[in-house]
Amino acid sequence: MILSRREKFVCYAVTYLFALFLLAPIVWMLSTSFKGQLAIFQKPPSLFTEFTFQNYAAVLSDPQFLHAFWNSVLISSGTVVVSVALAVPAAYGLSHLTGGRRAGFLSWVLLVRAAPGMIYVLPYYLAYSQIGLIDTRIGLILINSVFTIPLAIWIVIPFFDAIPHEIEEAAIIDGATRFQTMTRIAIPLAAPGIASTAILIFIFAWNEFLFALTLTRFEARTAAVSILSYMAYEGTEWGKVAAAGALILLPVLCFSILIRKYLVQTTAGGVKG
Amino acid sequence: MHSSRLRGYGLYILPTFLVLATITIVPLFVTFTVSLFLIDVTSGLPPVWQGFYNYVSLLSDSRFLNSLVVTAELIFIPVALQLLFGLALAICLRERLAGTRWMRILFLLPAVIPPAVSGLVWKLFVIPGAGGLAWLSGLLGIDLDIDLLSMPATALATVVVASTWVGTPFVALILLSGIETIGKDQYESATLDGATWWQTHRYISIPTLAPIIRTVVVFRILEALAIFPIIFVLTGGGPAGATEPVNFYAYVTGFDYLQIDYAASMIVLFFLAMMAFCSPFLVQIARSAEGGAR
Repeated sequence: MILSRREKFVCYAVTYLFALFLLAPIVWMLSTSFKGQLAIFQKPPSLFTEFTFQNYAAVLSDPQFLHAFWNSVLISSGTVVVSVALAVPAAYGLSHLTGGRRAGFLSWVLLVRAAPGMIYVLPYYLAYSQIGLIDTRIGLILINSVFTIPLAIWIVIPFFDAIPHEIEEAAIIDGATRFQTMTRIAIPLAAPGIASTAILIFIFAWNEFLFALTLTRFEARTAAVSILSYMAYEGTEWGKVAAAGALILLPVLCFSILIRKYLVQTTAGGVKG
Repeated sequence: MHSSRLRGYGLYILPTFLVLATITIVPLFVTFTVSLFLIDVTSGLPPVWQGFYNYVSLLSDSRFLNSLVVTAELIFIPVALQLLFGLALAICLRERLAGTRWMRILFLLPAVIPPAVSGLVWKLFVIPGAGGLAWLSGLLGIDLDIDLLSMPATALATVVVASTWVGTPFVALILLSGIETIGKDQYESATLDGATWWQTHRYISIPTLAPIIRTVVVFRILEALAIFPIIFVLTGGGPAGATEPVNFYAYVTGFDYLQIDYAASMIVLFFLAMMAFCSPFLVQIARSAEGGAR
């Protein structure tokens, strides 16, 4: 459409003001992460007063933070493995169903994914206290799966749906079993979808906060929760908080750029045009 | 597909179905059962049956009633703002003006930032007198040295802004992908008929997007209901409960005050209210995902 100058001006004003609103807090966090403790509380503040790596050095040499970071890597990867292993066969099966049963199962899957995490925290806390899963990585992987299995099923189904059934029928006529048809034909064809789902699950588990806060203490504490240890009562070390925040953001940022094509459709979890 | 062939696929679905049912439905029953007993975790005494006593107490618990109001505020204000700004941004980004393409990638950022980090990003931004907000207002010549998080109204406003910040770009991108499926010729013929830019969007874009808008709103409301890390990091529910929604009150009751039975009753009510509101929409959304079924 051809826009008048006034309309163009409105478009630029709306988008650039919003981009400023979006970026300002993040830029401020990054600038804080390079400041010393004194510069952080300087009044009036300025964006770049000094440039030091001391916050990053302090965070990266903090064994507790490194332990938590490594926990996040293990827990997120574990959640990916468990969820993909369970969700892919189910999605494959569901994509071959039609009508009421498929819609019924999908609605239920969507409801589970939509429920607020708070609903699950309390019963899991009680159960884990009984069976010794409090403060374990396995425990977090399990409760993360409550959300990531439905998420994965929901995202992978359209990729299986998109495979023409003639291809699978031809394989069966050639003597392949149904399982072979899935592993040799359907899964390779849906591989890009499955891979981006895996990354999305990784991001979900990496970002998860409530479960990690309530179900871990030290051994299985994740990176997102470990920042809280810099926000103590005796005075928050904002430089370290900002540096840790930036470090936690980094892997998620890399992954999301990798799957940016799928990100909008998939995070919508069923929003269709 | 023949029913005999169909039956075989049950084997692929069943194990996942059983796992998922166990890890989701069983906990809900546990929560409900817990809410019916008096449980004192600190003394270790055996649970005592008390029926629906907790539910009756909730109705006269002013802190709970306040948290209901806060929940409503934290749902309707941010979701309305997200939709308003998201729509405006989608319409502007659709034009693909030079220098706006990069924003499509920038807009992915808030959707993937760990929510706890979003909370601390905003906490750093509003440090009284020394944060990014004070810096920005200083550029405009205003000396802003107040603690926004210390007063109920401004603390709530800060949470609303943070939650709008997280959700808007995502809403914009979804609406944008919807708008881009509308044919160019539709806009062109409307323009030829004398419609202004505003009118084309008012009478073409918005009505066409209506189903997407409805779905997006449902998901944003669900997201807003679950808001926790931002509040935990930013305000801790304070001051004086001004930013304490139901699920945060339930968390404090269960994990700080260790009144798990009382917390359980809140969670059960919260869950039932959520289900009553959302399940019709969710079932509809699931049905519309029939598309590829063979």
